[in-house]
Amino acid sequence: MKVLNGQVISKRRVAIQFAVVAGVSISALILTQSFPKPFWLWASFAGAMILFEWRATEANDRLIWSPSIMIAFTAAVVFGRGAAVLGVVAMELLSPLTPADIKARRFFQPFANACQLALSATVGLSLFELFLPNGPVTPDDLWLIVLGTVPSVAAFYLVNLTLVQYAVRMVYGKTDIKPWSNLGQFFLSYLGMGVLGSLLGAAYLAIGAASLPLIFVVFFVGHLMLSSYSALREAQESTLRGFIKALEAKDLYTRGHTERVAHFSTVIGEELGFNGTQLERLRWAALIHDVGKLAVPRELITKRAKLDAKEYEQMQRHVHLVEDLLAEVEFLAPMVEIASNHHVHYDGNGYHGSNHNHGDTPELEACILAVADSFDAMTSTRSYRVALTQEYALSELRRNAGSQFDPIAVEALASALLRLGETYGSTDVVSEDEARRLAEQLAVHG
Amino acid sequence: MSFPRTKPDVLQNSWPYMADRHMMRLGAATFIALVGVGSLMTLSARTGLVQILVLATLITLAQLIAVPAPSGDRVFLGVGMAAATPLLLGSGIGMPDLYGTSAVTAFGLAGAWIVSVARTGERRRARTRFVSEAIAMVLFVVAFFGIEYLLLGSGALLDVVILGSVAGGAMAWYLGRATANALIGLEEHQLDVRYVWLLALEDWPVALSLFASGALLGLAWPQMGGWSIAAALLPYAFTHLAFMRYDLTRTTYRQMIRALARIPEVADLTPDGHAVRTAKLATSVGRELGLNPEEVEELEYAALMHDIGRVTLNEPAIIRAGYTSDDIARWGAQIISEAPYLERAADMVRQQYAPYRQPGVEKDESLPIPSKIIKITSEYDRGVHDRGLPPIEALEQLHRGSAYEYDPSIIASLRRVLVHHGVVAA
Repeated sequence: MKVLNGQVISKRRVAIQFAVVAGVSISALILTQSFPKPFWLWASFAGAMILFEWRATEANDRLIWSPSIMIAFTAAVVFGRGAAVLGVVAMELLSPLTPADIKARRFFQPFANACQLALSATVGLSLFELFLPNGPVTPDDLWLIVLGTVPSVAAFYLVNLTLVQYAVRMVYGKTDIKPWSNLGQFFLSYLGMGVLGSLLGAAYLAIGAASLPLIFVVFFVGHLMLSSYSALREAQESTLRGFIKALEAKDLYTRGHTERVAHFSTVIGEELGFNGTQLERLRWAALIHDVGKLAVPRELITKRAKLDAKEYEQMQRHVHLVEDLLAEVEFLAPMVEIASNHHVHYDGNGYHGSNHNHGDTPELEACILAVADSFDAMTSTRSYRVALTQEYALSELRRNAGSQFDPIAVEALASALLRLGETYGSTDVVSEDEARRLAEQLAVHG
Repeated sequence: MSFPRTKPDVLQNSWPYMADRHMMRLGAATFIALVGVGSLMTLSARTGLVQILVLATLITLAQLIAVPAPSGDRVFLGVGMAAATPLLLGSGIGMPDLYGTSAVTAFGLAGAWIVSVARTGERRRARTRFVSEAIAMVLFVVAFFGIEYLLLGSGALLDVVILGSVAGGAMAWYLGRATANALIGLEEHQLDVRYVWLLALEDWPVALSLFASGALLGLAWPQMGGWSIAAALLPYAFTHLAFMRYDLTRTTYRQMIRALARIPEVADLTPDGHAVRTAKLATSVGRELGLNPEEVEELEYAALMHDIGRVTLNEPAIIRAGYTSDDIARWGAQIISEAPYLERAADMVRQQYAPYRQPGVEKDESLPIPSKIIKITSEYDRGVHDRGLPPIEALEQLHRGSAYEYDPSIIASLRRVLVHHGVVAA
């Protein structure tokens, strides 16, 4: 977890607090510990850690890779009792400053991170040192070392999390960061990395310098594959996003609709405490919820008058075909199901996809999507009526909550918009009739 | 590594590979040679028979596990165990057992042959792979010991000797595997050798992690015992997982592009299946012409989406205003270029209707080959599936346009591909 960049409220205060605490603990370390020897050994671990931090990949909730934790524990075992804490803390101090930060003259964030990492490493590794043998490490010591990584990683992680939260709250004034949703998963993978790190440290002690390149190669390839993987996932989402944006752009009235519905769905999901995977699913479902319309002849979509039965059937056929198409993409199948149910009402009425029974309450994600879709429909201008105000849209959603809409999702949207301070829609059009009349006037004059 | 690279389906198609009979014979001959060499080596080995058989079994077992590699092929884990073997057999003290290592590798591969015949029955790809894996692994052993003896003779540090031999052996395995794949896996003209060779070279991350983990295991075992398995294999297991995730995402990325490319078909704006058929034919031609694997992949995306611009024809106003083919290509390129990483595919789509000649110029060299391939394969597919022409007639139509529109060298390549598929007579 890292301190993020943002607006400044009290950077200086936090910086001073962090610097004082980190300075005290580093001074204590310098007095009690010796610097690891030989220097080239420390430098190669420090170099590896810095390189991995520079190319850090965003934490992905499916597969978490934290080479810095691994390198910290490898180094701690290699440096041994009496030098481990100081050696690792010195590495952690160097790791957060990246070339990008220097170029952009962003110094607060790397500084705060250096301090908090130094503190976390001090606490975590002081604990770890208790489990290291006094003399050389033998295979019999390994049980104790592996066992020792559990409390050490936990302490490291807890201090890290607390300090980051504190800094974010003080500096950005945000009280609503929720890093706790994936806590268990993060901790487990950090723990795995810590155990691996200490085993590799033991391997170094057993084999000698020949193991160093081998260890770094293993680190490097894992890192490379994971960053390629997360880059590819991003490419996948931005490809779909780009496509939908480009296809939508042809229609003046729905331009940006998908992006906005994805945004509203995400904020509702966040408000309801969804975790990373659930949010991702919801976002994808929102992105594809209208793809089917791209294959429908435009004249049907933009038609002002009500569609007759034959036209309606024609429209549904196209929509279904595209849904079937996308459902063939394995990982999209659950999202397609959510998307295809976004017209089902909360009480089970309304139009539904092929895999939904009439009368059943749709799943929460589909309800969220329905609320987000309707909210955007009311607060944006369509061919048959102009945009309405946000208050009108919310009251309309509330009026139909319990029948058409899921009350939980409606309230979540309302409070999320309040929390984010975002407003959508027109400033003065407060009734459906007025909105339709204005649209007709526009059509006549424009 | 560049991305998004998705699985090239050349390796999923069985047609480029040698006939069953050949591979069966070649595989059986390799098997007999391995058993013979293994037995001879066991006689002179310092290592005991039991230890040799245990290690050989481990290689055979590891050879059952495969990791999906960046090229779309799979790499078998046996080579990791093969990398650990010479280190386990005494390299740590600077006196590796050459005969023992050779015996272990030979028996391990022979075991892998028996397993692959028993498991895959008549499947020919397993045979092709077996032969090229065997050649590569033998090259590893030869290079490892060659370098080890050289370095020991020069009095280098033991650490340098060990790492140098592993690195040299790994390099020999890597190049040997690529070359063997390129030469054995092919029938004469259907795939360019260069294409397959470059493709196999993309597997370096897998090779790196396998050799590093194997060497770590071999080196740590004498001191750490069972713990060395955890120290060497757990990090590998994580990397393996990352490879699999990456591979899965590549597959779904490709599926997604395929699905999006069919939107104009669903909207009745292009004939059904046109995108997929054109892409298949275009990539075959691209490989036959020996384009880079990367280019072939971009060509596949471009060919899949070459008609995506037609969704614009849903707009009644546009139809009323009129449009040309170049407009459709331009609209399509606009849509595709919204997706990051697909800019080059967008360029290919943008120029898909450009004639290969300009007035007064023999050949427009600035026109990318992939665009010309799309132009020709798409027209061929429309001829056959839209206008109902017999394949030979559709090809003739292209020939008729080869004075200005269609590049004759690409038509010739298309003809070779179609002949190989048995669609038109030779």
